[in-house]
Amino acid sequence: MKEFPVMYSALVRELFERLPHAGDLAPGPGVVAVGEAMALDRGAWVRFEARIEEGCIADCAFRAWGCPHTLAAAALVSGRMSGQAIGTRPALNARRLAAELAAPPEKLGRLLVVEDALAGMLAKAVALQSAPECPSP
Amino acid sequence: MTAVPGEAPIYFDHAATTPLDPRVADAMCECLRDPALQGNPASVHAPGRAAAARVEAARAQVARLIAAQPESIVFTSGATESVNLAILGTARAAGRESRHVVTVRNEHRAALDACRQLEREGFSVSWLAPGSDGRVEPGQIAASLRPDTALVSVMHANNETGIINDVASIGRLCRERGVALHVDAAQSAGKLPIDVMVVDAALLSFCAHKLGGPKGIGALYVRHRPRAPLQPLQFGGGHERGLRAGSLATHQIVGFGVACDLALAALATEPARIHALRERLWAGLQDAAPLARNGATGPALPGILNVRFPGLEGESLLFALDGRLAASSGSACSSATAEPSYVLRALGLSDLAIQASLRLSLGRSTTEEEIDRAAALLVACVRRLRAVLPAGAIERIA
Repeated sequence: MKEFPVMYSALVRELFERLPHAGDLAPGPGVVAVGEAMALDRGAWVRFEARIEEGCIADCAFRAWGCPHTLAAAALVSGRMSGQAIGTRPALNARRLAAELAAPPEKLGRLLVVEDALAGMLAKAVALQSAPECPSP
Repeated sequence: MTAVPGEAPIYFDHAATTPLDPRVADAMCECLRDPALQGNPASVHAPGRAAAARVEAARAQVARLIAAQPESIVFTSGATESVNLAILGTARAAGRESRHVVTVRNEHRAALDACRQLEREGFSVSWLAPGSDGRVEPGQIAASLRPDTALVSVMHANNETGIINDVASIGRLCRERGVALHVDAAQSAGKLPIDVMVVDAALLSFCAHKLGGPKGIGALYVRHRPRAPLQPLQFGGGHERGLRAGSLATHQIVGFGVACDLALAALATEPARIHALRERLWAGLQDAAPLARNGATGPALPGILNVRFPGLEGESLLFALDGRLAASSGSACSSATAEPSYVLRALGLSDLAIQASLRLSLGRSTTEEEIDRAAALLVACVRRLRAVLPAGAIERIA
């Protein structure tokens, strides 16, 4: 069996231990945008959901399967999304996440899954904003 | 993930290596400190003879563990060297008419890589596929033998699942066909009773650090009658009857001897106790359902529990346990080249199922209190990670 890896930054450890924003959004006003990306062969599956109120992301939550870096990245993204205006492109992509989390290069493929899920969620949020009426789930 | 202050981490990785028994450490330290034992065991002067006497006493202890004669024990640096010496040494000594070797695809890497080296040297290797239970059947071995077969190499117990091969039946048929059998007993020595006459092995590999002894010392049993032809791998002196050159490490060998004595004495009670502990652990883990045991059917080592938690990712599970419980995963995937366990693949598990697997291996130091604490910890970690899974992940990753 493979040896347990030891390359985890303090931020990865902190986020993995608390897993902030993990789970589902509480019921509330506004509409919910969902983005999901899955690459089981790469070892990651991430789903974001964001509550959109008055053109802004009021709250964001995630669900994920993957390594500690994947879960930490999803938690980091969820935290950063709150308060963001819809339509502004956040500076959070896989490379930026890898740098912030001090992730080893081999984890980039998994962080791309996080990036894809985020992009999907933001695209959905834009679409929902332009729709006449989108009820909450 | 964070260790509880004052609470020692639970060590459930005895299949990787066992903690050094304090009695072994005492014997080794005594040997290292004793001015009368500082000579080279190969020297003829008094300090050398004193060291040699300790080496020979330990050789007898090591031999007793497998019901062998002391002169059939060759000391090596560990099981990997023993396996290499057995496979490469036997094949290279067999002559031009015997260029065929048989092994099994779920053997330890030491055996697999040694056989690959033989292929590079022009030998023919039959790679047998284990059955769905992870075992190789004696009939498979019989069917693979050829007139030019020099060696069959089979592990006694698997290091990942603990499943036990019927090496006694394999040994009998190898003897009948005039083929040397090498048994890799690195996992089973000291955990199961072994009698080399019953196993009928020409060669048997094992080491100290899997049975409470120090790392860096192992043994290869080499049958005397009929003598198993063996070519040494290293040269530089006539040590170990010309089979393994190099000055003997007296303190390591003394530690190995004491560890074998302790393991032999414990064989009367420990297998049953550890088996009961393993079943207690399995029962305690039921609160983390769904879960499954890998390689659970048929005879197996008492201390290994290979568990699959559908929906989990092995690296995250190990990280969640870090500092509180030490175990091994089916694939930590810490690098791009990390491969899921070929042993679990041979059982028919998918790569995702292998990622969701954890090997928990118990040993002589394992207590009931540790079992209960580990079960509670594992259940909590599994539930925590499952609580954040996307819908459908448990079904997909199974």
